[in-house]
Amino acid sequence: MTALIQRLRRPPLTTSYANDLRLFPSWTAKAGMLALAVLFFALPFTLSDFWLGVLIRVGIFAVGAIGLNLLTGYTGQVSLGHAFFLAVGAYTWAHFGGELGWSMVLWLPLAALIGAAVGAIVGPFALRLRGNYLAIVSLGLVFIGLHIWNNFESVTGGSAGVRGERAATIGPLDFSALDVFGQKLTDDQSFFWLVWFFVALGALIATNIVRTRPGRAMQAVRDRDVAAEVVGVNLARYKVAAFALSSAYAAVAGALLGSYSEFITPDQWSLPLAIQFVAIIIVGGVGTIFGSILGALFIAGGPLVIDDRANSIPLVKWLVEQGGMSTATFNQLLFGLVIILFLVLEPHGLAGIWFRIRNYFKAWPFSY
Amino acid sequence: MQAMKSRPLRLVALLAALVLLAAGCGRDDGGGDTGGGAQTDGEVKTGPGFDGTTIKLGVITPLSGPVAPVFGIPITAGNQVYFDKVNAAGGVAGKYKVELVKEDNVYDAAQTKPKYDKIKGDVAMFGQILGTPPTQAVLADLKRDGIVASPASLDAAWVREPNLLPIGSTYQIQFINAADYLINDKGFKGKPICMVAVEGEYGDAGIQGLEFAAKELKFDIAVTARYKPSDQDFTAQIQQLKNGKCAAVFLTALPTQTAQIIGGAAQQGLTPQWVGQSPTWAGALATSPVSPVLQKTFLWASEGATWGDQSVVGMKEMLADIAKYKADQQPDVYFVFGYVQAIAVHALLEQAVENGDLSRAGILKAVEDVSVDYKGLLGEYKYGKPADRDPSRETTLFTVDPSVPGALKKLVSVSSDAAKKLTFEAS
Repeated sequence: MTALIQRLRRPPLTTSYANDLRLFPSWTAKAGMLALAVLFFALPFTLSDFWLGVLIRVGIFAVGAIGLNLLTGYTGQVSLGHAFFLAVGAYTWAHFGGELGWSMVLWLPLAALIGAAVGAIVGPFALRLRGNYLAIVSLGLVFIGLHIWNNFESVTGGSAGVRGERAATIGPLDFSALDVFGQKLTDDQSFFWLVWFFVALGALIATNIVRTRPGRAMQAVRDRDVAAEVVGVNLARYKVAAFALSSAYAAVAGALLGSYSEFITPDQWSLPLAIQFVAIIIVGGVGTIFGSILGALFIAGGPLVIDDRANSIPLVKWLVEQGGMSTATFNQLLFGLVIILFLVLEPHGLAGIWFRIRNYFKAWPFSY
Repeated sequence: MQAMKSRPLRLVALLAALVLLAAGCGRDDGGGDTGGGAQTDGEVKTGPGFDGTTIKLGVITPLSGPVAPVFGIPITAGNQVYFDKVNAAGGVAGKYKVELVKEDNVYDAAQTKPKYDKIKGDVAMFGQILGTPPTQAVLADLKRDGIVASPASLDAAWVREPNLLPIGSTYQIQFINAADYLINDKGFKGKPICMVAVEGEYGDAGIQGLEFAAKELKFDIAVTARYKPSDQDFTAQIQQLKNGKCAAVFLTALPTQTAQIIGGAAQQGLTPQWVGQSPTWAGALATSPVSPVLQKTFLWASEGATWGDQSVVGMKEMLADIAKYKADQQPDVYFVFGYVQAIAVHALLEQAVENGDLSRAGILKAVEDVSVDYKGLLGEYKYGKPADRDPSRETTLFTVDPSVPGALKKLVSVSSDAAKKLTFEAS
């Protein structure tokens, strides 16, 4: 008992470099993880299918956003081409899962591999280009992609899109209809676990990368690539690897999105999706893994929440009834505004706000 | 060290306890294929979306965005007016009121599934899902959940789908009949017949129809020009038609492109006989600058009667219903489509009541037993088991005439032998 009181009294401050590197630096972090784990198991039994569907979409976007944050947030390579890599993964599912009916054990890693390979091919452009120039080149990728998706009909079904089996099976587990203690679950209940397992796995891998040697090299490249090269960071290797890694994340997200929707069309993978991912990491927090998930919650989940609750939010209700504006239009305006406000007022994003609140309480009562 | 050993166990125990606690709260969702705790009310079995007094129908359609005023809003108004009439007469079987639960998907396939998930637990079936891509997007879910939907789309792929209640003919049949009319009655035999189609499934359907007609009626398609849904400029396609010296052009497009393609061709001196698939038309075309060209050269291939034709029973009833429930409704062919769709859905619900089962399984079963009287607003559709279904083989050709309400005047009804030969495959 006294030990517990002592532990509670001790401020959870980082006192050594080793402690700074720990995955779960304090007991509060551990408690937080435990709470999240409880949510993970309990939510499918408490939320309706609609809200689980929202969270599934959020989870899929979070996986993709973690990938973009590794590339843009940690390595400093601005990319507007993330939608292209999502499409690569989605069409990998469409062909190997949806069409040929392979198990997820095969098509999901394959999506990651193909995504990484395509990313590695594109990566070398980043060796010659920086900042805005790289952003424009990556933007070109989205449009080249649209041309391919519209014309590579045997896999993509042309502009009509392709429909396929979900193929979300791992051995006896079928993530479109799990059996839990004899209770048959709906597809949204089952798929929720699948997606958020990959969010957790993706976040864990990313955290481990950024807190170790390659992560420090990536951040050195971000802060000044010439200086990084001078101190011995192999620029070619890290830039290409960052692209490959980020694309692998995007491809996994795309494959999950394809499998969940069971129907994909080329116009899904256009500029708005690419912008959405940039928005997620800006609003969530550039250069934080945790922020990618928060951003996805906000940008991918927010519009659906507003749409669902339109009648109980007075301003939206008034605009829809009096202003002749649809909730879809309202959402576009609102989230555009939010991105601008975050860029100007809180460049560290939601994660930055969270860290400030946390630090306040960490040092309490001496927070000033 | 001892404390370290027991910690994981403690964690697991705590986790398990919390999960059980949370799971105990349960979730408020009528979804899934549990049948929503079906009970029996008198003779009719209840299920999700039917509590014994009110039948709720889902409607997923564009209510905002560019497609909404053309398709989504008038079709939904047609649904609503018809069910207003049914409710005023007491409801389905004289006692069960019908309520529409409307969701806006902005004609975006990706937004259709969230809307579907949102209302699926509250509805007995979907009275309308508008368009081919949105229907494709939820088809797997419909099968998984055992729910029936009526697509507002004439895609041939729907004919053999057990969970869909399609109505009318198909895009293929429209063109086969129209080609038959031009070749056999209008002397187009031997003249160059051409095709302009948007890329995608809808355009493919138009091409399939014309190719089938070409084989049956023994003519060649001189030019097949395609374009992307996002295209704004049709110079290349028009040039292709000019080079082919086309005498008749079959058009599978959306209304905005109809004006640009036909108007653009006219500007370049090309005024062939145009034949438009049913979704090429929008009421606004009648007052647009291309209207004079359309009046001279355009045939609209669809089904039904001229708006205001009191000699058709269905039309007479519809006009009376409009006067009663939505007096400000402008003449609009898509309103008629929505009205007719509601006739089919209503017949299905009556059939399910007759079978004594308004649960999801009951409605799915009723699709096999239903027969619908369209009262002249649409050709007869033979329902039954998916393999036995036979869509309407009838097409009505309309000319553009701003002097009649709705600006479309019935020219002739065609149900050609060629169209009767078309067969449908299960997907």
